[in-house]
Amino acid sequence: MLFNSYEYLIYFLPAAVLGFFAFGERPRWAVRWLVAASLFFYGWWNPAHLPLIVASIAGNFWFAHRVQRSPHRHRWVVTGVAANLALLGVFKYADFILRTLAQTGLMDPVELGLALPLGISFFTFTQIAFLVDVSRDKATEPSFDNYALFVTFFPHLLAGPIIHHSEMMPQFQSTANKRVDWRNVAAGLFLLSIGLAKKVFLADPLVPLVSAGFDHATTIGTLQAWLSALAYTLQIYFDFSGYTDMALGAALIFNIRLPINFDSPYRSLDLRAFWHRWHMTLSRFLREYVYVPLGGNRAGETRVLANLLLTFLLGGLWHGAAWTFVCWGALHGLGLCAVRLWRGTGRTLPAPVAWAVTFLFVVVTWVFFRAHSLGDAWAIVRAMAGLSSSADWASVRALVGGNTAAASALAAGMLVVFQRSNSNALVRSFAGSWMTAVAAAAALTLAVLQLSTVAPFLYFNF
Amino acid sequence: MIVRATDVPAALEPPVPDRRGPVHWRRWCAAVLAATGATLAAVGAINAAVDPFQQYRVAASHAPRFYALHHRWINPGIAKHAPYQTALIGSSIMESTRNAWIADACGGPAVNLSMPAISAAEIRTLLDTVFAARAPRRVVIVLDFNAFAGTPDERQDSAGPLPTYLYDRNPFNDLPYLLSGTVLKKSIAILAGRRDESFRSDVDAPWFWGDRYRFATSEVLKGLDPDDINARFRQPARALAGMQASFEHNIEPTLKSHPKTEFDLVWPPYSMFVWRDFAQRRQLDVTFDFKRYVARAVGGLKNVAIVDLQPHAEITTDLDLYMDIYHFAPQVNRWMIERTCAGLDRVDAAGAADAEQRLRAELARWRPPATTDTR
Repeated sequence: MLFNSYEYLIYFLPAAVLGFFAFGERPRWAVRWLVAASLFFYGWWNPAHLPLIVASIAGNFWFAHRVQRSPHRHRWVVTGVAANLALLGVFKYADFILRTLAQTGLMDPVELGLALPLGISFFTFTQIAFLVDVSRDKATEPSFDNYALFVTFFPHLLAGPIIHHSEMMPQFQSTANKRVDWRNVAAGLFLLSIGLAKKVFLADPLVPLVSAGFDHATTIGTLQAWLSALAYTLQIYFDFSGYTDMALGAALIFNIRLPINFDSPYRSLDLRAFWHRWHMTLSRFLREYVYVPLGGNRAGETRVLANLLLTFLLGGLWHGAAWTFVCWGALHGLGLCAVRLWRGTGRTLPAPVAWAVTFLFVVVTWVFFRAHSLGDAWAIVRAMAGLSSSADWASVRALVGGNTAAASALAAGMLVVFQRSNSNALVRSFAGSWMTAVAAAAALTLAVLQLSTVAPFLYFNF
Repeated sequence: MIVRATDVPAALEPPVPDRRGPVHWRRWCAAVLAATGATLAAVGAINAAVDPFQQYRVAASHAPRFYALHHRWINPGIAKHAPYQTALIGSSIMESTRNAWIADACGGPAVNLSMPAISAAEIRTLLDTVFAARAPRRVVIVLDFNAFAGTPDERQDSAGPLPTYLYDRNPFNDLPYLLSGTVLKKSIAILAGRRDESFRSDVDAPWFWGDRYRFATSEVLKGLDPDDINARFRQPARALAGMQASFEHNIEPTLKSHPKTEFDLVWPPYSMFVWRDFAQRRQLDVTFDFKRYVARAVGGLKNVAIVDLQPHAEITTDLDLYMDIYHFAPQVNRWMIERTCAGLDRVDAAGAADAEQRLRAELARWRPPATTDTR
């Protein structure tokens, strides 16, 4: 079920909230209600994938108990993590590996053709983190109901944020959280309206500008290439951060505070800051469960740089089974290595220059993330560098002129990204004024009226 | 404002310290939900009452508006609510068929439910909608080979999204229609008597386009490369296994489950250029294999007839009857319906082989006009 769908906003969310608080006096049933609602939410798109997530939850719960009780906990945690990675490997990466082997002539072309279960990367990573935390004595969970809710809680299930057991379980266990807190309901509604507005009014209208470039990569000119890359830069931000706002808002209605995922990343002065502000829960996961176990900052400089590069290669691959994602991850890994080496010199750039370098790097690397193939990505980057022979001023003018909604979204998006408070700050300062009530009601109403041209959230693909 | 790296905030920070009581926040929520709910309810009520795409009733209080751009939104409403005993389903080549022609030839009342770039999966969806609403006496299905390309559920991208929620009988999934801003604009335009987007109001010919185009050899030859005919049309390649699977999945079940309804499966008279294109793309054999397969597949069904109009060289070689290699003039539509419902040109498995021989012979004889030979 999409957050930006009628069935979610009109039927599912109100029913889930009412049921949850109706069971408020019986906390165990409130938890079970929310698990059932979350599984219904998950199975809405493809019920055939329900057994997979249920098996994944049951399997990991069992592994966690083995890790806790067995004298060979290291063996069990390695087996558990390997089982999770195998599941992810079969559904997400098997065809990519088979295709690559076939392309290199090592085997005949063959594909499994398995449909990618929604959110598999997110619920697998969440559970890997849990197993590792159990092995480090940082987490323990005796209740299957609570564990199932921790994994399936629908606001974070399909596209994150990637949560930690330790930050969620006290909230799920709290009896007080099973009672209506109108301040949280109000803040949740407010955040949900912001997220929906971001998705519907700022992200979705940019699609024509993005498609015009990325669907015709080999024939576009310099201006078109920059326009499409910039439009995608804003689209993916408003799409994903809008989704996250809706997730955080929905969770807050249930008195659950999820970790934030974005904090104005495009205002960052270097790439390290960018990754502290973009998809923050993935950054946290990669840091704690990949980078640090690899040795982190503790090894020599060469090893640290290698760790950084490897971590971001895996981060790229996590986004999708394609060389474009690997390349995107590699570029960010190399970028972070360069930032580290630069910082080692003790020299600093003036803030506007540092910002410009960082933002341009992010815009250019998004090309690899979005392009249909590495060839397309390279063609667009060449066009951005002025190496395209296409003269495109007239076509860009026609494109922008024919898509005034897209052009408006681009301008408004730039303003919001660089000049306005982000949604975290807006919620922090939210005082429930009548002005905010009018704004939230208007945003919700107008966004719902726009939903019939539904576009799925981009991060569902990952 | 630009920022430097800081520590990652761990969780959404709560709103400012609450100096107001729960009543304030409850009022805020009530105000937002009431305003949103009331506005959306009003929009839903207006859209349901005006019903611009005729989903709940045939337009009576205003002249119906058949918007070509929203063909796939309006068609299920017609399928559900128009009075008819005979239905015609086909692609854009059949849109210029008047309901009256179908009624005269096949028995009325009749309705034309053809849609541009219709796929086999969409034919199935439309047939399900028709039979959920009524059991028509006769259904004429004009089969386009391209409708069976790809997997059984495949559709052409150019057709745009199919609003499947309008094709079923579930009122609870109609919200995308009732709460749509686009539909609201149409409702307001109807109430205000404004024209917003091009539409027809002729109930007898809602999707008729034959009066807006010129049918002539010169039109057919326009932009055509005789050595690479498909360069202009970019039609997909087809494989027999895929076409068979699509037919089995999308067409056969309806034919079998409604034995009291007469079905005519019609092979339409494309211009000879289409067959030449098939030959250029090595699609000729797969096409004839598929025709033979269909004849065998429905051979045992007494309620199904196959009508093959493709060997009619007097039509297929007269390019003045066409606007491009696929689309023919309205008089051909009328001729097709009349022959179909008169029981002419019906073929069984043996007849299909004979028709194939005649068509192959005609293709071998036929020479396309030079691109300069335009009238």
